[in-house]
Amino acid sequence: MTEYRAGGTDLMERRASGRSTGPIVDLRDRGLRSIETTEEGGLRIGAMVTVDTLATDPALSAAYPALALTAGALATPQIRRAATLGGVLLQRTRCRYYRNEHYECLKTGGEGCPARGNPGERAVVLDVGPCVAPHPSSVAMALLTYDAVAEIEDGPRRPVAGLYGDGARDHLLDPSDLLTAVVLPPPIDGERAGYKRATGRASAEWPLAEAVAHLTVRDGVIVRAGVAVGGVAAVPLRLPGVEAALTGHAPSEELFARAARLDWTPAFPETAYKIPVTATLIGDVLAQAR
Amino acid sequence: MRLTFNGGPREHDPGPDDTAADVIRTVFGATGTKVACGAGVCGACTILVDGEPKVSCLLPAAHLDGTEVTTVEGVGGDHPVQRAFVECDALQCGFCTPGFVTEAVAFHDRWRKDHEGTPSREEVAAALTGHLCRCGAYENIVAAVRQACAGVFDDREPVPARVEAPAKVAGAAEYTVDVSLPGMLHGVIVRSRLPHARVTVKSPEMSEKTSPASAAGRPVAGFVRLLQGDVVRYTGQPIAAVAAETPALARELAERVTVDYEALPSVVDPAEARRDGAPVIFADAAAQKAAPSSAEGAGFPGRWRGNVRSGYASAWRGRAARRRLDAAEERNAPGYFAATFTTSGQSHTALEPHASVADWRPDGLTLHVSTQALPHVKAAAAKRWNPPKVEVVAQHVGGGFGSKLGLSTDVVAAVELSRRLGRPVRVAMSRAEELTDTGYRPGTRSELRMLGTPTGGLAAISLDVSGHGGVSTGSMVATLGLLMYGRGPRHFRDRDVIGNAPPASPFRGPGGPPFAWAVEQGVDEIAHRLGADPLKLRRTWDGNRRRRALYEIAAELPLWRDRPATPQTGRYRRGVGAAAANWIYTADVDTKIELTVRDGRIVARTATQDIGTGVRTVIRNAVREVFPDADVVVEVGHSDAPHGPVAGGSRSTASVGPAARDAAGKLAAHLGGKPVGAAEGVTVLGERPKDRRGSAVPVSMDHLRVGRGLAGAVHITEVEVDTLLGHTRVTRVWGGIAAGAIYNRTAARNQCEGGIVQGIGYALYEERITDPRTGVVLSANLEDYRLPGVNDTPEMTIHFHEDGWDHVPGGGVGLGEVCTVSVAASVGNAVFNATGFRPLDLPIRPDRLLEGMPR
Repeated sequence: MTEYRAGGTDLMERRASGRSTGPIVDLRDRGLRSIETTEEGGLRIGAMVTVDTLATDPALSAAYPALALTAGALATPQIRRAATLGGVLLQRTRCRYYRNEHYECLKTGGEGCPARGNPGERAVVLDVGPCVAPHPSSVAMALLTYDAVAEIEDGPRRPVAGLYGDGARDHLLDPSDLLTAVVLPPPIDGERAGYKRATGRASAEWPLAEAVAHLTVRDGVIVRAGVAVGGVAAVPLRLPGVEAALTGHAPSEELFARAARLDWTPAFPETAYKIPVTATLIGDVLAQAR
Repeated sequence: MRLTFNGGPREHDPGPDDTAADVIRTVFGATGTKVACGAGVCGACTILVDGEPKVSCLLPAAHLDGTEVTTVEGVGGDHPVQRAFVECDALQCGFCTPGFVTEAVAFHDRWRKDHEGTPSREEVAAALTGHLCRCGAYENIVAAVRQACAGVFDDREPVPARVEAPAKVAGAAEYTVDVSLPGMLHGVIVRSRLPHARVTVKSPEMSEKTSPASAAGRPVAGFVRLLQGDVVRYTGQPIAAVAAETPALARELAERVTVDYEALPSVVDPAEARRDGAPVIFADAAAQKAAPSSAEGAGFPGRWRGNVRSGYASAWRGRAARRRLDAAEERNAPGYFAATFTTSGQSHTALEPHASVADWRPDGLTLHVSTQALPHVKAAAAKRWNPPKVEVVAQHVGGGFGSKLGLSTDVVAAVELSRRLGRPVRVAMSRAEELTDTGYRPGTRSELRMLGTPTGGLAAISLDVSGHGGVSTGSMVATLGLLMYGRGPRHFRDRDVIGNAPPASPFRGPGGPPFAWAVEQGVDEIAHRLGADPLKLRRTWDGNRRRRALYEIAAELPLWRDRPATPQTGRYRRGVGAAAANWIYTADVDTKIELTVRDGRIVARTATQDIGTGVRTVIRNAVREVFPDADVVVEVGHSDAPHGPVAGGSRSTASVGPAARDAAGKLAAHLGGKPVGAAEGVTVLGERPKDRRGSAVPVSMDHLRVGRGLAGAVHITEVEVDTLLGHTRVTRVWGGIAAGAIYNRTAARNQCEGGIVQGIGYALYEERITDPRTGVVLSANLEDYRLPGVNDTPEMTIHFHEDGWDHVPGGGVGLGEVCTVSVAASVGNAVFNATGFRPLDLPIRPDRLLEGMPR
C-alpha cells in the first residue's frame, strides 16, 4: 500500500518498526506550503504547512486562536517544526499494541483489538468501537470547532469532521487520496480561546485528555462557542451540547461549570477518571477563553 | 541529493527509508550525532537544518536535499554554549549532550539577536522540552544555556568542570556505538515470540548477499545459537544471532532463521504465578539453579515452592516483633500501621544502548563494549572463551545505572559471531530491545507492619516483600531493614515470584527505593497518627549519627518549617514530605593507579571506566593536590591498565581517589622536590590504603570490600497537586547527603541532582508495562516509558554533611546510590501532606491519585 510522506514524524517511526512497508510518495516537492486568504475571507492552509507555523503565524493565531494554541501545545518543538497539517490530521494511532511489532489488529490489516482486554488508563472513555485507543490528532479537534473543510486532490471537499468515522480506521481517506489543504471559514472578530491537556509529566506528552474552546462575546452575551475534546474517544470529538449550553448566555463561572457537565458512561473502569478530568479541562479552557 | 554539510558540499543518494541520522552517522561518518530513542522523543539526534533544530532520527534523509546541515561537529567546539556546558558541568555521561548543544546553540543565536540580559529558566526549559537526559543533569544544562545567553563565555575560555567535557560537547567523545572497524559486520538478535515454549532452531539458508563466503573468501554473513537448552521462558529471550554486511541485511537474515515453537503453558502476571496450579516455570532444581539473578553478587539462599522462591527470614527478635504487632493490631494502637505497597518495574534505559564491537583474531580478542564493569568483562570473557588474550575498551559510556555489569547478550553475540566469522562484529540493542531485555529494577509488592512510639523508638516492624523480576531471582528489599532505625524487634523476608517475563538486574541502589517507598511512608504515617513531627520521630528512632545530623539541619529549613499543617481544601494543594535512606559503603580495595611522566606530563592510568560520574576528574584532582601546576592526563577505559574498579555499588570514588593520592605521593617522594620533568619516563604505582580499624566484612568478593559505616541521605520534597486533574509537580527538593568528604563538589552535586530527577521519574512516571497474556513488554519506547524531562525538574539544593568518615582514606565514600533511594518516598509523603491521600502504588499516576483521594 502506497503511503504519502509529509514531515515523516509518524511514518518514519512506522517504517523503522516494520508497520509500514509499501512504497512511499514523498510530498516534499509538492508545494502545499502556502497560507492564502479565500474569497470568502477565510484562510486556506496548505497541507504541508508545519505545526510550528500553525502555532506561530501571527495572522493565523489572531484569526483562529483555538487552532494556534492547540498546535503550540503538542509534542515537542522539534516535532512541531517537522510535522505538517496534513500529517497530523491523517497520522496513525499511538496505541501501544498497534505500535508493537508483536501484535496484529484491525488497524494493521488483521482482526480484533488486543488492547480491548487490557485497555489501561490511557484508553478511550467513550467507546465508539472497535478501536479503544484515543484519536491522536489534537489539531483535528481544534479544526472541528471552526467547521473547517478539507480539500482532496481530484476529489470533492469534505468537512474535517467527515475525515473521521467510528474508530475502525484512523481516517476515512483512501490511501490514494491526497489531502492538499484545509479551508477555514472567515474568522470572527474578538474571538478568544483556551486550550489545555491533562498529562502526567509537565510537557512533551500525549494527553490523557485535552480540551479546546473559543468564545465570541457581544454585548455581554456569548454569541458563538466552539468546544471540542480529545483523548477520550477513537475520533476527535466536538461537543455541540456544551456549545448550545453556552450560546446566548452571559459568560460566568456558574455557566461554565453547568455547561461542562458530562453525562458520559465510561467504557472501562480504568478510564472512568477521564470524565471528571475532561469536565475540568472544559471548565479551564472556557475560563481561559473568557 | 546535494547539501551543505558542516560547511562543505556533499552528495549522496539516500534510500527512501534512510533517516538523516543514518546518513550522517554511517555515510558522512559524523558520529557526534547520537541516536537513542529512534522515535523523536529524546532529541539526542538533533541537528540544525537551515538553522532549525530537528530530530534526525525521524527526518527522511531525502529531505536534506538543498539544505544546509550543521551537526555538533559543525558547531565547532568553541561556541559560547559549548564553553558554558564545559564549565557549568552541564552533562554526566554525555550521550545526550550533542543534541542539547545543537538545540541550545540555535536558541542562543536566535535569542541574542533581539534580547539583552539573561533568558528566564522557563524560556530555556521550553526550548529544551524535546530533550531527555537520563542522568538528570537538567539543572546545570539550563544554567549553562542561561549563562551563555548572558554573554558570560563570549570572551573567555571555560575552566572544564570535568576532564572529558570538551570532547563531549564537541561530539568528539567516542562511545561504543560510534566504533567502526574495517570489515565490520552488523549483528542482530533473534528473539522468542512466545512467553514459554520448547523451540527448535534452524540456521537460515544463505542467499547471494548473505552467502557464508564472498568471492574473496571472506565470510560476509553468519549465524550463532545463543539459547542454551531448548526452552524459552519469556517473550524476547535471545535464541540466536546473525551478522551481515549491513544492519538491513542482518535483519533480513534474522527473518529467515527458522524457529519452531511448541508452546508451553505460561504465566506472566505475578498474582497469577503464585497461585496453586499455575504453570511452573522452573520445574527442577537444576533449572532453578540456572535461573538468572538480579542481585549484585551472590543472591540470598531460598526455598522454592512452585514459582515462589522464599528467602529465609532475617530477623532480630522476630517472634517478639510479630507478637507486638499482633497485639497492637488487636487493640488498635495509635502507633500501629499496616499496608501493602507496590512498585512498578523501573527500566534503566541508559541513552547509549547496550552495544559491543568484538574483533576476534588469532592473537586475541579486542572487545569494545558499553560497560560499567571493564575489569569484570575482561575476566569473564577470558574465562568463557579463553582467547590468547583479551583487551576490553570503553572510552566513553553513555550511562549504565546498574544494567551494564556483565556479559550481556550484545557481548556474547558479538564475540561468538566474530569468532565464527573471523571479522569484527557490532551488536547494538534497539531501544525496544533495551527496554525489553536489558534488565530493570524488579517490581515489588510489600506487606508492611510497623509499631512506633513517640519517644521509645520503633517498637516492632515486619516487612514481607515479593520481587517481580520475571524469570530472575534475587530481589532483595526487606532485608535492607536490618540497617535502619535502631535495634527494635524486626522480621524481614524477601521472596521472588517468578513469571514468564524478562529478567531484572541491579539498578542504582538495588532494593533501596522500594524499601524506602514502604518503610519511609510507614514512618510518616505513624508520625501523622501520633501527631509527631516526622523528622523528630526519625531522629528519635534512628541511631545513625551522620543521618541524625541531617535531620537537625533539615528541621531548620524554611521548606520544612513552613510545611502545610492541616488538611487542605482548594484545587491546588502544596505538600512537603521527608524521607531518609542509608546505603552500605563499598570500595575496590585492589584499585591501582599508575602514574607515568611522559613528555613532561603526568599520565594517570587505571582499568576503570567513566559512565558519567566523573571518575577521570576525581583522579586528576587527586594528582593535582600534590602537583597543582602539572599537566595531568587521565587514561581510563582500557583493560591493559592496572586494575581499577567496576562502576557499581557506589565504589568508584572511594577506590580511585585514595589510590591516586597514594600514587601522587610516591611520585613526589621520587622527585624529592625536583620538577616533574626530572622524572621523565618514571612510573609509580599507587595503591588504595586500608581503612583504619578494618572493614565490616573481612573478605573481598571480586575485589569489593564492604566497609564500616553507612552513607546517609535525607530528602525534603515539596509538591504541588492539581486535585482535579490528578497532576503532581515536584517544585523543590532539598537533598542532604552524609557521605563524608566530597572529592569533586561540582560532579557530586550534579550526580545528587540526577538522583533526585531519577527518583521523581520512579515516583511519578516510570512504569514498565508487560502484557499479562503474551509477556510482550508494551513500554518498549521512550514515548510509553516516560522519563522525567527538563520541565519536571524541581529547584534543588544539595547539602553535604562531611563529617564522620575519618576511618576511610580520603575521608569520604560514594554517594551515587544513596542520593536517589529516598526520593520517591519523600514524594509520596509530600503528596500525603498535600492531599490526605496515602499513595501505596508506584508510580503515582493521575488516575490513581484521583481514584484514591478523599472526596
